[in-house]
Amino acid sequence: MSSTTLEPNPSSRGVRPGAANNQAGDRAGDSLSTGPGPSFLRVLNSEVIKFRTLLSTMILLGATIAVIIGVGSLAAWGIGQALQASSSDPQRSAALAAQGDLAASAPSAGISFAQLILGSLAVLIISSEFTTGMARSTFTAVPKRIPALAAKLLVVVVSAFLVTALSLYLAGLVAVPILDQYGHTLDVSSGHYYRTLLINSAYVAAVAAIGMALGALIRNSAGGIMTLVGIFFVLPIALQIIQGDFVTELRKFIPSNTLAPLTAADHVPDTLESWQAALVLGAWVVIPIVLAGILLKKRDV
Amino acid sequence: MIEARGLTKVYGEKTAVAGVNFTVEAGRVTGFLGPNGAGKSTTMRMIMGLDRPTSGSVTVNGVPLDRHHAPLRDVGALLDAKAVHTGRSAYNHLRAMAATHSIPKKRVHDVIEMTGLAEVARKKVGGFSLGMGQRLGIAAALLGDPQTVILDEPVNGLDPEGVVWVRNLVKYLASEGRTVFLSSHLMSEMAVTADHLIVIGRGRIIADAPIQEIITGNGQGRTRVRTDQPDQLTRLLAGTGVTVQVQDHELLEVTGLEPRQIARTALDNHVMIYELTPLRASLEEAYMELTKDEVEYHSLITTGGHAPAQAGGN
Repeated sequence: MSSTTLEPNPSSRGVRPGAANNQAGDRAGDSLSTGPGPSFLRVLNSEVIKFRTLLSTMILLGATIAVIIGVGSLAAWGIGQALQASSSDPQRSAALAAQGDLAASAPSAGISFAQLILGSLAVLIISSEFTTGMARSTFTAVPKRIPALAAKLLVVVVSAFLVTALSLYLAGLVAVPILDQYGHTLDVSSGHYYRTLLINSAYVAAVAAIGMALGALIRNSAGGIMTLVGIFFVLPIALQIIQGDFVTELRKFIPSNTLAPLTAADHVPDTLESWQAALVLGAWVVIPIVLAGILLKKRDV
Repeated sequence: MIEARGLTKVYGEKTAVAGVNFTVEAGRVTGFLGPNGAGKSTTMRMIMGLDRPTSGSVTVNGVPLDRHHAPLRDVGALLDAKAVHTGRSAYNHLRAMAATHSIPKKRVHDVIEMTGLAEVARKKVGGFSLGMGQRLGIAAALLGDPQTVILDEPVNGLDPEGVVWVRNLVKYLASEGRTVFLSSHLMSEMAVTADHLIVIGRGRIIADAPIQEIITGNGQGRTRVRTDQPDQLTRLLAGTGVTVQVQDHELLEVTGLEPRQIARTALDNHVMIYELTPLRASLEEAYMELTKDEVEYHSLITTGGHAPAQAGGN
């Protein structure tokens, strides 16, 4: 127990004889520590440790890699089959050709699943702090609160980007020999291919950022994930069912419909221009994050 | 030093803390006593900057916690044994906490040793017993070697050995000149641990005084007397300000007389007494007495500069 002390002479600072009625005099200079405090880099280091030391995080990251590679391979096989089947039918062949370079899109076929997994991971990273009570530890160490949220956001966004990019790259390598069997070539070294890969990864990172904002706002794992699923899976389907000009216009602005114009080489009908899509997706990220930051600062933990 | 001034917290309709004023001084163990729901934990969460006061303020060493340069090095708190992610090991939890302030790994190992967690440090916190969770919470509170230590119900769920350990630990920390603020609803624990007591009830400070003063301030001393002539002795002792209770056959409890006076009366009247035991009021009794009538007692027992504001609060 004697090892509680790091200071050479701790008793010199706190004790003041006859202090009972001494309230006004010496408050300002009263023993505030001069040791290192929670700078952003230190908070970031802490969040990296937290991120790495949860088994559930590692499982979800592994699942993302498996899903992107698995679905990418299946897509390569399916596209090869479809192109082969259509080769004898010029009409179908033309219809497939109109959908752009199908072979090149095979590796990213798993993106919609990856966004759900990594988005949920982002929700969990912060909502689990509130459900387990960890938030009380986090925010007593970082009482300004915002640096902790920013560090978490950075860790999640960078991880989501890197894991998606790595998985897409591996999925491409797996897709090449599969497509090759059907006589199609996938050029995994072209500039366009890398550009698409990076945009897909950035999109998944944006979804993770939205997930983190939802987790911070809702503070409940199930609620946060359901909201995320609602935005990325239910909303697009609901807007497909409802007809009307306004809905057609609205459909362009939901986040899941910003990916197509961002990755397409040419403008896709019924979608935004790519620069508009980038702005809309940016707004979907920035607005919830700012809201989450303001409320995190205001609310009780 | 912790200072609360007009500290108030309102949750919707319910006022959890109603404009309290108190000062927790360095160099002694200050107990924070009150029944469940009295506002102890809310007050401590406000000290730690987790709950925002509805009005008023609370500072540690003169500054609110979020304006401290290195909060973990100034204030360590155990607010809830479950302030840990259940999927992480104790060691990794402490390491992540330490990283925010560049606290060396050696210190992490030290607090693990100190709190007796070495054997379970690599296991997931989710499987910890309540006592182990408390030890981890205390380890986290001591991590930054803080000048101020705040412990909310630290002995909850600890085994007897752990209770003694916490008792010695807080006394040792106070002896080093640190500010130690300790809450409990267990009066017996406070009686042997705290030097100074702040009693809270329904969000208001009922008493703020040295623990001895609270115990002795609880009316007069009582004396247990055994005699083979209880009826006669009762008659002889009776007088103004004296109450004699017949507790049992040949057993009396006398209030309002010193043991010496009782012995003198018995001797003078040739009444044999075969037990004469002065009874110290227990803290528990003092506490019951205090909470029975807040208004009457806070003005009697509150000391020094804290009384006026409290009276104004009512």
